[in-house]
Amino acid sequence: MSTIAETAPRDQTRRRTRFDGWRWGGRIFLVFMLLYTALPMIWMLITSIKSGFAAMQFPPQWWPDEPTLASYQKLLDPQNSVGQDFLRFFWNSLYVSTATTILSVIVAVPAAYAFSRFTFPGRNFLFFAVLLRNMFPAVIFLVPLFILMRAIGLVNTHGSLILTYLTFGLPLAIWLLKGFYDNIPVQLEQAARIDGATRFQAFILIVMPLSAPGIIATAIYSFIGAWNEYIYAYTFLSKNEQLTLPVGIQRFFSENTTDFPGLMAASFMMSVPVVVLFLVLQRYFVRALTEGAVKH
Amino acid sequence: MAHVVLKDLIKTYGSFKAVNEVSLTVNDGEFVALVGPSGCGKTTTLNLIAGLIPITSGDILIGDRVVNELDPKDRDIAMVFQNYALYPQKSVYMNLAFPLQMRKLPKDEIDKKVREAARVLDMTQLLERKPRELSGGQQQRVALGRALVRDPAVFLMDEPLSNLDAKLRVQMRSEIKRFHQDLKATIVYVTHDQLEAVTMADRMAVMNGGYLQQYDSPAQVFAHPANMFVASFVGSPAMSLIPLQASTANGGIVLTSAEGWSLALSQPNARKVQRATSGKVVLGARHSTIKLHKSAVAGAIPAKAYTVEPTGDVTFVQAFLSGAIVNISVPPTIAVAPDEQIWLEFDQERIHLFDGETEMALQAN
Repeated sequence: MSTIAETAPRDQTRRRTRFDGWRWGGRIFLVFMLLYTALPMIWMLITSIKSGFAAMQFPPQWWPDEPTLASYQKLLDPQNSVGQDFLRFFWNSLYVSTATTILSVIVAVPAAYAFSRFTFPGRNFLFFAVLLRNMFPAVIFLVPLFILMRAIGLVNTHGSLILTYLTFGLPLAIWLLKGFYDNIPVQLEQAARIDGATRFQAFILIVMPLSAPGIIATAIYSFIGAWNEYIYAYTFLSKNEQLTLPVGIQRFFSENTTDFPGLMAASFMMSVPVVVLFLVLQRYFVRALTEGAVKH
Repeated sequence: MAHVVLKDLIKTYGSFKAVNEVSLTVNDGEFVALVGPSGCGKTTTLNLIAGLIPITSGDILIGDRVVNELDPKDRDIAMVFQNYALYPQKSVYMNLAFPLQMRKLPKDEIDKKVREAARVLDMTQLLERKPRELSGGQQQRVALGRALVRDPAVFLMDEPLSNLDAKLRVQMRSEIKRFHQDLKATIVYVTHDQLEAVTMADRMAVMNGGYLQQYDSPAQVFAHPANMFVASFVGSPAMSLIPLQASTANGGIVLTSAEGWSLALSQPNARKVQRATSGKVVLGARHSTIKLHKSAVAGAIPAKAYTVEPTGDVTFVQAFLSGAIVNISVPPTIAVAPDEQIWLEFDQERIHLFDGETEMALQAN
């Protein structure tokens, strides 16, 4: 007995101090990934507070001698023509992305619920058909969609972009949400219906709150997709006052010489809504709401 | 409370018949168990009563109302699910209040009823918790509370105990039985466990393959199984069913085994066998009605003990006769060893005889 008691802790200490190659390999890999993703962001931020001259210097200034917020002031100044354009583009992007997100949730939620709960003829065929679009790169549809948009008179409208982004975003949104609905036990709805709810009430009062993490994930996915999209926005819109940010930023900073601090400041501000969205809503991703609902 | 009537109830999925012409009446205040192996149609029948799936044909009456086309919410029923189906985002209090809120009761009345139900089920201190913070037994109790808070016409229970551990199951079994007695509630209770049905129900409906096999009190089902399926399903260990051949000899009827032994039947049993559609007859005997001898006795059939399972107050011996497993229970004072030669004596008053072709019980008249 005593020998066992004595050796046991010694064993543990040895195990704890032993070099674990896999674990350290993993840590080094994670550090590398962190640098890989964070360094460009940091460089973007640093450049955005440099003066135009400091940004072009070689060897580069790691930290600007005279940090300045001039670029931000210029971009956010509604009196200035650059600021007017930037705010216009920002608003356009926000409008297109928000509309895409709302419509995508409105369509994806009932579609995913139907795929998850009902059996109807052609259900499997339809379900895989929505994924067909994802088999091809987005650019393949550029010309056909442009011809289509021209035919229905949507070229040079934000509607063309919203429709296109919906087409691209919906398949995955439906798949993602169907997974969530599949995991919500059907007995919860049945219980609600027996407790006095209509089928629709059961959906709204019981299923919707439980699928909130899925809906939020879907919404963020749609929003980011629309917010960052470049090639369709570049093709479908030609009027300056309609441009979205990804196209707009490129337009007015590369005419003669590129204003790198201005470009970086605009890029930084463009990333703000996405980051804010993530920070505000991330807790919904991790909350395991259905835990304890039923016993498996 | 109300009675429930099922008339020629049929539910088909394509060509598959899940429920086949089931007719039965659950009296006001009666506890009826729907029992059978998995896939027998018992849960489908319950869901049809609840209105969760549409019926193919037939009628369902709750009280004196035909509810065939009514939504679940309009049937005045409450249901307890196997997995409890508690609303995970709601506290226990809100879970109990939900059926009342749906019926638009005033707030103070809801509060009164919820607290009353919580008091009855002894979970007042759990009201603010979320379902995931409860143990299995507590979740089960909340599910029961959500059913009784509304005072419905009928309680439907879908295997409510099968997710509990053995000890808790026995405890909740008596709690539900007590609950039935106190409330004089009409309960339709689905279970695959014949022991639950026998111990709790006033009447049990044994189902198999979508058909209602027998509907009677547990004592009657146990004593007079309608066919071989019911005979083998109800009772543990299962009734032994031995396939034999009937023939006439010396003016009486004798059952002969392919193994060579034979059994001369008593007068009443012979009359039953005369009604069989062919010479094929199946002899049924419960473990407690077979006498085990350790030496040859007139009328006893020789066999070899196969396994011996002492359980403490009774020892179960298994043997093979005519290729069928025969269960015999003996007092623990009788020591039997595996492979030991034994002799089995059937009690002619208590054996069951079945038609080997139709599998139906043979009746004397």
